[in-house]
Amino acid sequence: MTATTTEAHPAQAFPGYLECLAEADEHAAVEVARGLLESGVPAERVLLDLVAPAQAEVGERWARDEWSVAQEHAATHISERVVAAVAAYADPRPTRGRIVVACMDGEWHALPARLVAEVLRLRGWQITFLGASVPAAHLVSYLHRYDAHAVALACALPMRLPHAHRMIEACRRSDVPVVVGGRGFGGDGRWARVLGVPWAPDAPTAADLVADERALRAVPPARLDHLADDEYASLAKRRGELIDSALADLRERVPGVRHYTPAQLDSTVSDLGYIVDFLAAALYVDDETLFTEFVEWLVAILVSRRVPAGAVALTLDHYGQRLHDFPRAGRFLDRARALVGGLSAVPER
Amino acid sequence: MVEHFREGLIVCDADGVVRHLSPVAERLVPEVVPGEVLAAAGVAALGGDDPGEFTHHGRRLRLRRVPLSAGRRCWYVEDVTESVSRADALLAERARSAFLAVVGEKLGNPLHPDRAAAAVVRLAVPTVADVAVLVLAPRSGRARWWRAVRADDDAGDNFSSARLTPRRDLEPSPAVDSGVLAAAALPSAIEEGLGGAEPHALDWLVEQAVEAGWLPGLDEAGATARVVPLPGREAPAGVLLVARRAGRWHDEADLDLVRAFAARAGAALTTALLYRDQAEVADTLQASLLPVEPAAAQGVQWGTAYRPAQAGLRIGGDFYGSHRLVDGGSVFFLGDVSGKGVEAAVFTGQLRQCLHALHRVESQPARLLKLLNDALLETTQAHGQGRFATMVLGVVRPHRDGGLTLTMAGGGHLPPLVLLASGEVEVVPLSGMLIGVVPDPRIGEVTVHLAPGETCLLYSDGVTEARGGRRGEEQFGAERLLHAVTGCHRMPAPALAERVEQVTCDWLGHGDHDDIAVLALRATTPGRPGRHLHAVPGPVGTDRTRETDA
Repeated sequence: MTATTTEAHPAQAFPGYLECLAEADEHAAVEVARGLLESGVPAERVLLDLVAPAQAEVGERWARDEWSVAQEHAATHISERVVAAVAAYADPRPTRGRIVVACMDGEWHALPARLVAEVLRLRGWQITFLGASVPAAHLVSYLHRYDAHAVALACALPMRLPHAHRMIEACRRSDVPVVVGGRGFGGDGRWARVLGVPWAPDAPTAADLVADERALRAVPPARLDHLADDEYASLAKRRGELIDSALADLRERVPGVRHYTPAQLDSTVSDLGYIVDFLAAALYVDDETLFTEFVEWLVAILVSRRVPAGAVALTLDHYGQRLHDFPRAGRFLDRARALVGGLSAVPER
Repeated sequence: MVEHFREGLIVCDADGVVRHLSPVAERLVPEVVPGEVLAAAGVAALGGDDPGEFTHHGRRLRLRRVPLSAGRRCWYVEDVTESVSRADALLAERARSAFLAVVGEKLGNPLHPDRAAAAVVRLAVPTVADVAVLVLAPRSGRARWWRAVRADDDAGDNFSSARLTPRRDLEPSPAVDSGVLAAAALPSAIEEGLGGAEPHALDWLVEQAVEAGWLPGLDEAGATARVVPLPGREAPAGVLLVARRAGRWHDEADLDLVRAFAARAGAALTTALLYRDQAEVADTLQASLLPVEPAAAQGVQWGTAYRPAQAGLRIGGDFYGSHRLVDGGSVFFLGDVSGKGVEAAVFTGQLRQCLHALHRVESQPARLLKLLNDALLETTQAHGQGRFATMVLGVVRPHRDGGLTLTMAGGGHLPPLVLLASGEVEVVPLSGMLIGVVPDPRIGEVTVHLAPGETCLLYSDGVTEARGGRRGEEQFGAERLLHAVTGCHRMPAPALAERVEQVTCDWLGHGDHDDIAVLALRATTPGRPGRHLHAVPGPVGTDRTRETDA
């Protein structure tokens, strides 16, 4: 091998790899990864130091509106192919039990979970990767059919936490321990602690956790006493009505909304729905930061797409009025409203 | 009158001399003598200032002191032995019911058989055993066993540093392991249990279990063991051996508890085994009805997505597939049969088999679809099913100027979309009648040329008829689909198919849906020189690129 190969390092290959993703050039991307492997970089490092950060960058570029959804999809597809190629190259022999890796129903960002699956595979586990958006019923019938040492469940969006909790409970009813990961449980896993489920911040930690049978079985109790106030359940029931009235409110107060194209209207409706869903999830785990972090993120996304943040403020106000008999929700909305306060004023269009 | 009291009475004067002793008190505390100092009786509890309950001559006594006038004091003594033992019995009974309730909860759900076996031994420790061994009824001469051993406290401490999650208020869960024994090597008491009897000769049981290597760290001397069969459908599903360390034998109530536990464990194991057998059959049948991924074809990049309505089932009434033709082209199809669930899936199986056979005699799409129509009509009439299908069936061939030529026939299905290199999306004008309804249906046919990088997209009505939106009642519709794929012309076909599935499911929220199927064909771009390969060291990479580009 030449001098350049001995210095092969994922960080050096990173810019070239990202260019392959930008060009949607699958072959070239696979070659970059394979080049690293052939010069002796361990498969796990290629996955965690090349593929994972590149995918994070892809997400950033989408958030900054530099890349379209289509570009993001294409890049993700190529990353998947690279992961498959790395896995095929390493071809580890399974020596340990079966771990089932799945993404929450409704979640399509399967790559982080796929990386965890491959790292576990490299460490000798027999892996079943059920993929993106796995319906709970499918997961449970799989667990009845095949004995699993543990289930690793990924949740990328905190708004799915109530659903994640139901899925965790379903796995436990099959007597299979669950490990969770993903940003949906909070950067520090605090919402996993509320739900009473072991959490791993990254793939190596997940590997350590599933290897520790006692830690898997030691389940701290869920701290969900606050659900007794019924705010979560009532809010979930009023979802459709809240979106309708918020849309009517926007139409009245923001003249531009009346002239929205059907597509613009659809994305407005889905944004209004996200606000309700994140608020509901914040109520579920009783943590206002879940909601305020989301509102900050939403404002950043909308601003990068030239939608004025004032529209978000209007909707927060509107939800606040509609939910006057929801003390916890009211508090969360107030906090979020204070955050976007400086950005208010009725938008132009 | 004092004699009739339930409580005994002792009265002392200011000097502590016993002045009165009721017959009840005399019986309960015979050491106390009238006329003598109370302290001389040597009953410690009577000397204390804050008396309560104490045990005296094997009975539980409750004491209460009341000051009287002129410095005199009086003690009431009550025999509470029976109420205490009744309370103890009640508590023990409650603990047993609580244990059985937990067992019912854990074993009441359908489990994988291995999970059920592991759960049985884990639940048995520590309530009914220090070591629990479950031996399943042998299958083909081999008996599988599971064992749980009560975790020693010091063993738990050794582990605690390695733990990632702190454990609170929990008995350390017992370590579970498992193994296999030849049926011939099973201890005789186990064999007897598998025959359905609860062995009565217990003397050799511990020795037998030790010999089988099942009782690690258990001191043989003084340890006790029992074997109970776990009831199954006909013969026992297995047997449970419960062993206790010295000094903790099983009394009759314990044995009743073990038997009640065994009944629940047996039911759970039987259900698990029954479920597994049926799931095996169902899985095999389902696998034969799942769409088969399209076969690799020159110049075509396939992309598929499939999401049946009933998630637990994995199969449905939508189907797609492809068959290679001898001339280098491929037949491809996507469609939807009437109905849902298993029956619809079975019909798709018949339909796909028909096509598999028919494409060998006819590869012209419209004529092939008519042949299929006749075949299906015959089948459905013979079975009186009244089922029909909608589908698009096409033949794809590489075009001599690059790209692909697609000739498609329409059988009452939604028209395909073409994603042009310009970024525009065109609806392919393709109409036709349902397949399997009338003898000579009108079938439309159209030919489309895909330039390199262009994609043709076929989808089922589960996409456009997905109900979601604000109230979950609005259909997704063709307009939204067109909008969702506009600008996606550079996407690889698998990514495009997944995107259609994703936007549809996002629209649905968590609502119910019909079967969803997507098939995308992309004309691959001719291989380009590896201009990114400067990042790849060595000649190996370049070689491989040439291979893949070829």
